[in-house]
Amino acid sequence: MTDNEIINQIIKGNSNLFRLFIDRYQSMVFRTCMGFLHNKDDADDLTQEIFIQVYQSLPKFKGNSSISTWIYRIAVNASLNKIRKTSKSNLFQRFETLFGSEKNKELLFPDTETENPENILINSEHRDWVQKALNSLPENQRTAIVLSKYDDLPQKEIAEIMNTTEGAVEALIQRAKANLREKLSSLNKKK
Amino acid sequence: MNCQICQKEMEEYREGRLPEGIRVQVEKHLNNCKACAEMYNLESIAYKVIDQEKEIQSNPFLATRIMAQIEEMEHKKSTFESVPAFQRILKPALIGISVSFALFAGVIMGNLYSSGEANKAIPVEMAYMDDASMEAVNLFSNE
Repeated sequence: MTDNEIINQIIKGNSNLFRLFIDRYQSMVFRTCMGFLHNKDDADDLTQEIFIQVYQSLPKFKGNSSISTWIYRIAVNASLNKIRKTSKSNLFQRFETLFGSEKNKELLFPDTETENPENILINSEHRDWVQKALNSLPENQRTAIVLSKYDDLPQKEIAEIMNTTEGAVEALIQRAKANLREKLSSLNKKK
Repeated sequence: MNCQICQKEMEEYREGRLPEGIRVQVEKHLNNCKACAEMYNLESIAYKVIDQEKEIQSNPFLATRIMAQIEEMEHKKSTFESVPAFQRILKPALIGISVSFALFAGVIMGNLYSSGEANKAIPVEMAYMDDASMEAVNLFSNE
């Protein structure tokens, strides 16, 4: 069945068909959430919220863009809203970082268990750097980089999702890379 | 090959997409330029971290959780819609009216009681009593 056929059936009341939607787009949405949140549990929760939002918004889908573009837009907006909410609760976030996220990182990357301790420490430090550097980017640069590097989307599709031109996307990605280099370099020097 | 060109070609160099001639030039520049070599190293680390995050899989039961939540939403929606509209409005309205009436009645009853106390007449004898100049009671108790 095509996406439009599935949507029509769901709107008519056959909600079980939404499972097909989830199977098709789950990885895509999850990867986008990981690009913004860098935490598996948070990404899982947000993916669930996004699909509920997609389900509730299906009657409003007009077909002006492809389904995947529409879902990407919902995923990006939900991720940015989540980040804005999280940044407001900074005190709790610091507490979580102190006691929680280090443990999560160990679960996320089990392959480090076989490496020597020095390499595990270096990898953990590198992950922190990269996540800090990505989190420091302005929202539009961050969105462009996530869609380009995490979702491997061509610039044309990124432009459609962000409702801008390909030239603007190219500029955003170049600026994002320059900012990332600068941030990583400063973090490396602090070491 | 200068730093600006080298940094521009870095990504394609890392991915092995450069023509042979340019690839050799970039490699030579990276061997000689410490700043570009450090930048290349840091970018490689960043892409390695991104590749690791991309490999993480979502919860295999996520689809089941989503469908369960949708089923619950649909069930609540159908239960809500099965109750007639006037009943949905009437019940909360009646509760609201009852609570308001109870509060109002309580306030009225309280006012009636307190106004009764205030208007009660003082005995004539009490009006002429002067506590300060009265003899102490214990004087009479000794008799």
